[in-house]
Amino acid sequence: MNSNQKPEMTEHQKQQLQFQLFQESLPKVNEIVYRMLLNETIPMAVSVQNRLSDNSDTQGTLGQELEEKLVLDPLKGHVPSHKLLQQYLASESDQQAKIDNRLNQIGFSLGQKLSQLLIFSNNPSLSFRDMDLLAVMKFVCRDVWRQVFGKQIDNLKTNHRGTFYLLDNNYKPVESLALDDDKSLEEKALIDPYLQFPCGVIRGVLDSLGFKEEGAVICTATLVDNAESSKSKSPISSRAVIFNVQVAVEN
Amino acid sequence: MSASTNSVPNSSTGSKKSLKAFSDDIWKNKTAKINAELFTLTYGSIVSQLCTDYERDFVKVNNQLFLMGYNIGMRLIEDFLARTALPRCESLAKTSEVVSKCAFKIFLNVTPQVGNWSSSQDAFSLFLDENPLSDFVELPMDAAKELWYSNILCGVLKGALEMVQMDCDVFFTSDVLKGDQTTELRVKLNRVLKDEIPAGED
Repeated sequence: MNSNQKPEMTEHQKQQLQFQLFQESLPKVNEIVYRMLLNETIPMAVSVQNRLSDNSDTQGTLGQELEEKLVLDPLKGHVPSHKLLQQYLASESDQQAKIDNRLNQIGFSLGQKLSQLLIFSNNPSLSFRDMDLLAVMKFVCRDVWRQVFGKQIDNLKTNHRGTFYLLDNNYKPVESLALDDDKSLEEKALIDPYLQFPCGVIRGVLDSLGFKEEGAVICTATLVDNAESSKSKSPISSRAVIFNVQVAVEN
Repeated sequence: MSASTNSVPNSSTGSKKSLKAFSDDIWKNKTAKINAELFTLTYGSIVSQLCTDYERDFVKVNNQLFLMGYNIGMRLIEDFLARTALPRCESLAKTSEVVSKCAFKIFLNVTPQVGNWSSSQDAFSLFLDENPLSDFVELPMDAAKELWYSNILCGVLKGALEMVQMDCDVFFTSDVLKGDQTTELRVKLNRVLKDEIPAGED
């Protein structure tokens, strides 16, 4: 029926439309639940770290006793999320690194599975014939980002030698955080764990598409510095994030 | 907004149907949605990371999932109340209905069956025929014995109900992932809390 109205639609547009309809027909859940789940992984990772360090201190029978009590009362040792985030800020940098790594790993294993999910759904913007690194990165920016964060990456730059800059002008997971233009150092430090998950996702997607070697992909993310951005003509939001992806390429 | 408050079901006859229609409307017209499979995969990644961190000590994983859910539930209830503007439930029967037909519907788009009421009417079960957390999930042998894969749900319910002054025990009694016939989530009301200052805020 749509093709009657718009006979000028190209084959590719038809496929796109079909794909969109297909996506819409898939089972759904409330986006808020997903966002809350994602953001709660950060306090959770802190809590895990606390418990792991506790356990190494009190090994033996005392630890086991504690464990049994833990089963009886599921809320034993409960710490609210905001307190856990404060603990993150207060903890040593090696502890922070472990927490960050935990979040990165969650993203990584999601990324690995995500490419399967996206590729096997007849996405017309994917073709395997010429799936070079640039095409893969475009896939990350367009399809992966849209799936996970509901928007595309706003800007992709590359030097064609394996270095990519991905700019997300309004990074979704920190959307609900009150971030002013003049962020304190503490606030900036608290953003770091929120940037681990997407870095993991990028690594995971690349891993599943053939960039598997240990250390072949390095991905870091930083919040765009506002002092720098205010000089440029186009104003950048206080939630803009740059992902820096380095892929080791042969020759 | 006015439309949603007008359609809040009252306790007269036919409230069952209107609660369903009310929730359907919120789900269809007032909810941003994401792919359920993405949700499933993300939750799976979280659980598997916890299993690695705790070296497959599934009792600890269960507990961590519960605590994670508890923290979510305490905040999710606010979104729920803002979205539905439902009044306080006059009975546990009403609560069970709101949880299954409304809360589960607008957040996860499933409607668990309510049943298995205790004789004193202070405990009920939710039977999850569909569970978006565990679609396509199969547990390895060691995990199937001890892991309550969807335990985060218990925490969410516990946290959310506590915020509306209901002190409940929430736990799974069976899960199809463990080879059981049904996935049964038990909610037992211990007492209704008095409106008081939350602990630690005095």
